[in-house]
Order: sequence, then C-alpha cells, then structure tokens
Amino acid sequence: MKRVLGYQPGVSIFHRLHPLLKVAWLVFITAAAFLIHSPAVNILAVLVMLAVFPAVGIRWDDLRGLRVLIFTALLITCLQILFWKEGELAAQLGRIRITDQGLFRGFYLGARFMVVVLISYLFVLTTSPNQLAYAMMRAGLPYRLGFTFVTALRMIPIFEQEALTVYRAGQARGVSYRPRGLRDLWEKLAGFILPMLVSGMSKVDALSISMEGRCFGMHRSRTYFKVREPFSGDLWAGLILLMGIAAVILVKLWEV
Amino acid sequence: MIRLDNFSYWYPGSDRPALQEIDLEIEEGEFVLLTGPSGCGKTTLALALAGFLFSQFNGESSGGVEVFGLDPAVVPIYEIADQVGLVQQNPENQFCTLMVEDEIAFGLENRRVPREEIEIRLAWALEAVGISGLRDRSLRSLSGGEKQKVALAAILAAKPRLIVFDEPTSNLDPPSTHEIFRVILDLQRRGNLTVLVIEQKLDFVNQADSRVIRMSAGRILDQETGQPRTITVERPQIPASPSDPVLEVDDLEVGFPGRTVLDGVDFQLFPGELVSLLGDNGSGKTTLLLTLLKMQEFKRGSIRFQGVSLDKVDSPSLGREIGMVFQNPDHQIFASTVWEEAILGPVNFQLDPDRYENWTRSLLDRAGLGSRLKEHPYRLSFGEKRRLNLISVLSYKPQLLLLDEIFIGQDPQNGEFLMGLLVDHVNEGNAVLLVNHNPAYYPLISTRLMFLKNGKLAVNSPLPEALRELDRMGEGAYLPVEMP
Repeated sequence: MKRVLGYQPGVSIFHRLHPLLKVAWLVFITAAAFLIHSPAVNILAVLVMLAVFPAVGIRWDDLRGLRVLIFTALLITCLQILFWKEGELAAQLGRIRITDQGLFRGFYLGARFMVVVLISYLFVLTTSPNQLAYAMMRAGLPYRLGFTFVTALRMIPIFEQEALTVYRAGQARGVSYRPRGLRDLWEKLAGFILPMLVSGMSKVDALSISMEGRCFGMHRSRTYFKVREPFSGDLWAGLILLMGIAAVILVKLWEV
Repeated sequence: MIRLDNFSYWYPGSDRPALQEIDLEIEEGEFVLLTGPSGCGKTTLALALAGFLFSQFNGESSGGVEVFGLDPAVVPIYEIADQVGLVQQNPENQFCTLMVEDEIAFGLENRRVPREEIEIRLAWALEAVGISGLRDRSLRSLSGGEKQKVALAAILAAKPRLIVFDEPTSNLDPPSTHEIFRVILDLQRRGNLTVLVIEQKLDFVNQADSRVIRMSAGRILDQETGQPRTITVERPQIPASPSDPVLEVDDLEVGFPGRTVLDGVDFQLFPGELVSLLGDNGSGKTTLLLTLLKMQEFKRGSIRFQGVSLDKVDSPSLGREIGMVFQNPDHQIFASTVWEEAILGPVNFQLDPDRYENWTRSLLDRAGLGSRLKEHPYRLSFGEKRRLNLISVLSYKPQLLLLDEIFIGQDPQNGEFLMGLLVDHVNEGNAVLLVNHNPAYYPLISTRLMFLKNGKLAVNSPLPEALRELDRMGEGAYLPVEMP
C-alpha cells in the first residue's frame, strides 16, 4: 500500500517539544507569513525550514506530495510576475510587462505559500497525533471528544485495509470497477459501501462494549497515567515564540 | 458464585429465544469451557453475565441472573464491570487507544484511579500476562497473539473476579493459541480467578483442567446428549494418472518496503490436489494467495498457470479460472439477494446460464439455503454466510480455488459441510490451496501440506510425511491430537 504523509517517530528536539507548543508555533508561523509582507523574510524562513528537515532526521522521501506543492508555489510566483500590471516597469519580455510590484508579489506570495506548506509538514511529521490528543485532553478538551479523535486515528488504517480487501474480493469475482453510466456507478458504489458499512457497524458494537466495560463515561473527568515532564527545549521554544510574537507586533506597529 | 436461574432471553423483534431456560452455576475460581454450534447462544450468555445484554439491547428476559451477588439486569454496567471483564474475539476491534500502556491504563483512568496506583497495576498486569517487554510498543506493531495478550492485560488490570473470553483464539495460529490458553490457565490457578471461555477449538485445552458445558439452540445440553460431534468427511481421491500441473511457482520473492515476506518459494499444484498452507500469523500465506491472483506484485521468480506465465494472462480471464474466498464473510457480499450473490461470478464472467443455474441451485439446496434465495445475504447467520461465500465461487467451477482461513469461527457441523464441498471440487479434477490454522480440519482432507516459515517453504510433502517433518521441526502446535 502507498505510504501517506504522517508522523515519523524520532528523538529530535522538534519531536520532543510539547505538542501544544508545536500547535502554537504552527499558528504563529502561519500568521506571521501573512502579516509580514516581505519576500526576503519569507524566503529566509523557507531556507531555514529546508535546513531543519534533515537536521531532525526527516528524509526528503518522507515529504510526500512536496513536488506538486513546489510546482504550485512556482506557478503562483510566475503568474504574479508575468501578469501583475501595477507598479514601475522592471523589464519587458516582448508584449509582457514585468513590474516591480509584480516581482514583489510573485516572490512574496510564492514564498508565503511554501512557508505554510513546510511548517505544516514539519508539524505533521514530528507530532504524534496520539500525544497531541492526550495533550489536548489534559489541557481541558472534554475526554469524550478527545477519544473520538483517538478512535478515528485507530480506525482509519483498519478501514483502509478493509476497503482494499473488499475491492480485491469484488475483483476476484469479476466485478468491474469501471462504471458504465450513472446507474451502474450507483450500483457499484452500493455494492462496495455495504460490506464496509456492515463491517463498520460490527466494529462499533465491539468497541462500545469494550469502552463501556472499562467504565468510559463513568465520571465527568478522568485521571491520566502518563505525565509529560517539561524539558529545557520547551522553555526555550516558548521564550523564542514569545519574542517572535513581540517582534511581529512591533513590526506591525512600525508599519502603522 | 455465578448463577443463572431458569433464564431466557429474546432479542428485540425476535419471537425465538436466544437463550432458553438456562440453569447454570459457576463456583468462584472455576475454569469453565462453553462450546456449541455458531448461533446457539454462547455469546448471548457471555453478554448476560457481563451485563451488556441489559445495557445495550432492549430485549425481553425471564428468570434471573446473579453475578457475585449483583443482578446485571438492574445494577449499572460500571458496577458489573468491576466484577466481570469480557475479552472479545478480535482484539483489533476492542482497542480504544494506540499504545500498549495507554490501552492497559484506559479502564483505570476512566475509574479515576490515581496514577501511582495505575503504575503499580499496569506493571502487574503486564507481568501476569508475560508481556512486560511490549510496554512501550504501539498496538499496530504487535502480532495477533500479542494483541490478544494486551486485550487480556487491559481487562486484568481492573482486577475483575470473573473473566469471560469470547472465542479469544479464533484468529490466532496454533502456537499463539496454545500460548493464550497457557496464560489463561496460569492466571486462573495463581489468582483464583473465575474463567469462562467460549471456544470451538477444544483440542487446544486440556479438558481435565476445566468443566465443559455444551450448548445448542439456546439451551445447555446435559452431559449425555452433549458429547462432542465427530467430524466425518471422505478424503479426496488421488488421481490415477499424473497430469500437468495447474500452477507452477518458481523462486518467488514478494516484499514490501523494508521487508521481504516470501523468499525463494517453489511449488507446483496438480489437478485433484487439496493442499493446505500453514504458517504462523504474518508468515505470508495471504500474501502468497494474492500474488497468485495478480493482486500483489512480486519482485523475483515466475508463476505459470496452466503453463502460461501469469503476466500474459489478463485479470478477468484469471479470475474466471482462479477463484478466491477471503477471510471475513462480510467483506465479500455484493448482491442484494442470496441467489444474485451466488451467481454474481458467473454473470460477471458472462457464462451461459445453462452451465451454472441448476448447478448453483443444487449447491444452495445442499447448504440449506434453497428456500432463502430472495433474502438479503446479510440476514444469514455467520455460518450460512460462509457457505454462501464458498458456493458463490464454486458456482463458476474455477480450476484452482484459493481459500483464506474459511474455517475461522465455524462449528464442526459447518466445517464438515464446507470440507465436503471442497473434496467434491477436487474430485472433479480441480485443485484447492487452503490456508488453515485448525489442526482439527486440515489433516482430514489435505493430500499435501505446505508450511511457511521465515518467508520460505519449510515443508512441502504429502500429509503423513509433512506431519512428521513438522514434529521434527518443533512445530508440535500444528499437529492434530490424533495423527492420521
């Protein structure tokens, strides 16, 4: 089965940071990319993040789908440069006017896109969804909601595997998955979905017995056995984050 | 003391009782094995003792149930859960978390047990089941047997007085099945735990250690009428003259990124052969079947079907000649009536109705499904669905039949029926490759055994010789109780 983009276990500082601190960094970097209208700052941020990936033990091979996103960023950049009309003339390519504002917008928007993409990759690849869910529950998210997320994480790969089995079982008995018209499409879809639905319902029954049998929902709150001790990296990452937020606020005030 | 007193139960919308006038007493510290055909009410009885029958279903009941002085029909499920733990058939479906220690701590956290106490009970449960080394592992990375041990530890951590196991080994290979029963028996003896195990594979348990209760049609049978059913099935006739192989596999290597599953596998299958393929969970048996159907790519080697290389045969033609029945009956039902399901293959392969209609109808009659042709297949029982699965492939008479664990969860009566169909199929000159874990079945019908170990075909011999080889290799768990 094809590997999808997901958490890659590791021991780097990014892996060890508190998951909620990483969420805060994700929000901050994304917001800063939109607030700081500077191609240079955004390009610098892209270069820094590209250097971070190998440093935290992530191979380029793990960044699935990155080529398409780089292509999209280049497309955004080129379209802005070639077709933005406002501003002073910087160069002329035949009938196409390239303006200073077009160049500014092209590099800024392309780099901003890549900043958001790369910080999201870094977050997804270094943050265990399970640890994130537990951290959110400990921070106050109702545990019934938190375990909805954990259960989804558990069930997605199981359903993925089952869908493949149902597909193969159909193929083995000559079911063609190339629909001939809308009616045929509907029949094929129903034939495929029904086994998944039946299997899903039996799983729900088993899971609800398992959860109820272990007193899930007995109290309004629950205890948590795992305690995550903070380490110096959390402190430094928090401090740098606060400084970053202060810097962005100062820049925005300066602009006003 | 656990007591059922003249207890009957009707599921909502059913006029047939799932349990009828059950009288049963289980002493504290007893080890009880509960067996009987599928659909006879074993799981319903387990759900009654664990309280879920009353908290999850709105059925009707009469008579009484008492579990350590509590009435499960009246007290909240959380109170019963402190006394009774239920380990279900498939651990995969009952896990609520992603990591081993989270799973074992889950019930204790829900009960608001302080973390210092959770740490003590977690370590104790891991040690009691013998899986302390798995503590930091993710559940996905575990084998089937390890997962079932984690499910047991998760129940054990709450220190219940009764643990009910609902077919805990049905998906496990023989070595893991032996190991799970060893752990259960050990726990019961050391901790004076009361244990009720619902099981079809009685050969794996020393029945001297336990009280065996047999059920049928919602009732508990008395000792005299409740003797185990012996399976009788005729062996396939060995073909008089040798013929060309239907399948030739040569130096096959199959793998996934970072893992080789099959390495240098060679074998041939001849018309009239019924070959059982054995091996531990994860040894590559299903992968081999999928590779033979061109549903899994291979890295090295060759596969020839009727002398033609597999890459020269298109998938629809291959599907017509090689039929496959998958492990879970629910994953392979596509039509909305029993009849349409049975003839789905022949219709898709555009066969002449004269060639399959009467034949399929006779198979359905033989399976007891002849009067239910217009019913939705999902209304059938588990055993009936399994019969339909097999018939829906036999309907187009494939020359090679691949079967992946079709005996899981089947009672002896249904197992006997399925084996009869397979023997008839090979006696007509076809070949069958059967993946199977149950030593009560494969020695009865196989002409040859193949055993996969560490990606290689470690045994590939006619039946009696293959069993001796398995014995020499220290794979005693795969041997039947009585050698043929």
